[in-house]
Amino acid sequence: MTATMLAPTDLRGAHEALADTEGTVQLQGAGTAAGWAGAALPTDTVLDTTRMTGVLAYNPSDMTVAVRAGTPLSELQAELAANGQRVAFDAARVARGATVGGLVATADSGPLALAYGSLRDLVIGATVVLADGTVARTGGHVIKNVAGYDLAKLLHGSYGGFALLAEVVLRLHPVPASARTVSLECPLDVGAERAALVLGSALEPVCLEWAEGTLLARLEGTPDGTEARARELAGLIGGSVLTEDDADAAWARHAELTGAAVVRVGCRPSRLAGLIGAPGGPAVAGLGTGIGTVGLPFAEVNGMHDAVTAIGGTSVTHQRPPSGVRAWGRMPSAIRVLRALKNELDPHGRLSPGRFESWFGEFGNREENP
Amino acid sequence: MLNAAVRDALASAVGARNVLSDPVQLRSYECDGLTGFRQIPALVVLPLDTESVAAAVRVCHEHGVPFVARGAGTGLSGGAMPVADGVVISLQRLRQVLEVDPVDRRAVVQPGVTNLDITKAAAPQGLYYAPDPSSQQVCTIGGNVAENSGGAHCLKYGFTTNHVLSMTVVLPDGEVVTLGGDTGDQLGPDLRGVFIGSEGTLGIVCEITVRLLRVPETVRTLLADFPSVRAAGEVVSDIVAAGIVPAAVEMMDNLAIQAAEKAVGAGYTLDTPAALVVELDGPAAECGSQFEQVKAICDRHGCTRLHIAGDAGERAKIWMGRKAAFAAVGRISPDYIVQDGVVPRTRLAEVLGRIEEMGQAAGLRVANVFHAGDGNLHPLVLFDEDAGELERAEELSKDIAELCVELGGSLSGEHGIGTDKACSMPRMFGVDDLATMDRVRSAFDPGKLCNPGKLLPTPRLCGERPGRYRPHPLEEAGVIERL
Repeated sequence: MTATMLAPTDLRGAHEALADTEGTVQLQGAGTAAGWAGAALPTDTVLDTTRMTGVLAYNPSDMTVAVRAGTPLSELQAELAANGQRVAFDAARVARGATVGGLVATADSGPLALAYGSLRDLVIGATVVLADGTVARTGGHVIKNVAGYDLAKLLHGSYGGFALLAEVVLRLHPVPASARTVSLECPLDVGAERAALVLGSALEPVCLEWAEGTLLARLEGTPDGTEARARELAGLIGGSVLTEDDADAAWARHAELTGAAVVRVGCRPSRLAGLIGAPGGPAVAGLGTGIGTVGLPFAEVNGMHDAVTAIGGTSVTHQRPPSGVRAWGRMPSAIRVLRALKNELDPHGRLSPGRFESWFGEFGNREENP
Repeated sequence: MLNAAVRDALASAVGARNVLSDPVQLRSYECDGLTGFRQIPALVVLPLDTESVAAAVRVCHEHGVPFVARGAGTGLSGGAMPVADGVVISLQRLRQVLEVDPVDRRAVVQPGVTNLDITKAAAPQGLYYAPDPSSQQVCTIGGNVAENSGGAHCLKYGFTTNHVLSMTVVLPDGEVVTLGGDTGDQLGPDLRGVFIGSEGTLGIVCEITVRLLRVPETVRTLLADFPSVRAAGEVVSDIVAAGIVPAAVEMMDNLAIQAAEKAVGAGYTLDTPAALVVELDGPAAECGSQFEQVKAICDRHGCTRLHIAGDAGERAKIWMGRKAAFAAVGRISPDYIVQDGVVPRTRLAEVLGRIEEMGQAAGLRVANVFHAGDGNLHPLVLFDEDAGELERAEELSKDIAELCVELGGSLSGEHGIGTDKACSMPRMFGVDDLATMDRVRSAFDPGKLCNPGKLLPTPRLCGERPGRYRPHPLEEAGVIERL
């Protein structure tokens, strides 16, 4: 079946694209995570968000920005940087053009999550379009706001299955005056030991990652402050302070390794090294966050899912495995609530079938055999 | 009235000794911190563990009996007000700290543990729990989850939702599930985030895993007086523009200062029009240099007195003045209402001017205490019920919250919608927004038994016609549109 392509440019167009069509719809951003999680099943329509771009409202003094969800985060960051501000978020695929909406829908995050969390912690408002075309707003333009249910949270990690994210309001942080990275070449188990020292100190790293043979700790703050703390941190772990160029290269390598990973896992930070060190494939370990990625043969993916599940963690594939290999480690405990939400928000199972494999079974199966 | 079968079933669910039905005992559950809304429940149950909570909820579910979860009852929006002929499920007896893990920096606690007791349990490891609502000595973490509570330090550290990793939750049909996980990552959509701040309408939280932070190396606090609220507001803007993220920035106007000073004598200047409390924390060197910057900014805006806390005792005294302000207005007025609205920080001066005008028009005084860094206002409307001013005061308070929405803000920054503001929700959200929220509620609670009548407007609560929707300022400016 050849899908009809729709590429609205704004909220009205997005509303029409869903209100005026019938059948199944794949929601698609820049496609930088198309290989993540379950395989998208063929749909009647593909709704491409990449023309829904641009800043809707930006008042630097309030440190918030409203954007259309198809805006590539890298473009937004460039615009914000002119005012000394940023979205404190650095997932690896941002550099490859990932959209704000896509990053929310896939619950991605990068090393800065140690200090700032993921986009769920930075999105303060959103406008969504439900499968029947209903336009709903949640949150607002202020950082502090507890009025009503937070629908943006519901869309975080929803892989397009609950609604289309059309507009997003983000809270911003100042770009730090200075950033320094300390590194130590070491195996993962040593990296985990040294990371524990750093976390027990008052040095306040914003990133603390082991990237295949190298422990990296980034400090942000004032030039004098980061210089002093970086020296202290280097002494603590027996590492060295990198030059700006070397730091850039080290973090670029980190992003590259993350981008090439097969599985993303999460568990208690102290258990991460044991978990992802075992397969021996190229690994990246967020030793403070408990989130890591690992490259390993597809034949070993189910085993990794089982190992993660056994310790109560989370896992999802970041490359499309052949059939017989699970994309998700397990179903969440509240699967019945997720199914009820799917049924309330998308009763005909129109949106993005397949990404959760059998979780919404009846929907997925129906689409598989149209 | 509850029939005998339901009473018996609840007694066997939680144990007969843990059921209250004496009218005198029931009366102490008739309201939360918002005492204007009262309703005596049919029954109160006090389960001792998650299983009994689930059993009690299952009984309610099977018999179609509405139920309301309750922590310490300190909420300020009527969110824990009982329902007529319904059951209150008190979590007060689930008050154990189950685990403090210094390595992975987290604690597992039951919902009846107070906010401050988490920090006390973590303190020996050099760790603490960051959200610090001003009621932290008595409010429970379960209630914090329900309200997504913030506190003075949430400008830098965020709210409850940013600090809860996972929860054991009893759903409205009695099923026990886990929401969230060991890290920020979750399997699929962020149900943890939907649940936190849902004001007890989506289920009952029975176990909570919270993140703990390392106690910062340094804390620096100052109290600064200014010739006007506007000047103090400009200081806040300049601090933010300098790229400094303070741990807290609090502002008080003269009326609030007078009240607080009368109550606790914390050393505030009685006749200053406005005062700021600014606190920075973090690594010593950086904290020190930014503190110098803040002092310079204060001077630039005509600061008339700068008091720097010399030690922890002096810092505690400054905070005591700030935290006492709510209760202290009782000393300058027989009655008062605490409001909780939010505006974009850049509109603080404008909203304060409008509040003053509205107060004058209503013939009532308004004291202002607020989290200036994030635009969260707590206007205190002063009135005398004996003089027949209650209705006017309630009207003024509601108008202030709705003014915040008109200025691009929110009806509530941290106290919640509850019973108090449900009827104002149509001022902030359109029909489709509210209908979508109702779909979410139905997915969790199709029988609408879990804290019914709160958060979303109902015809019964608000009359057949909820308040007219007012367009959002961005809609009026043509930036966004409502379809």
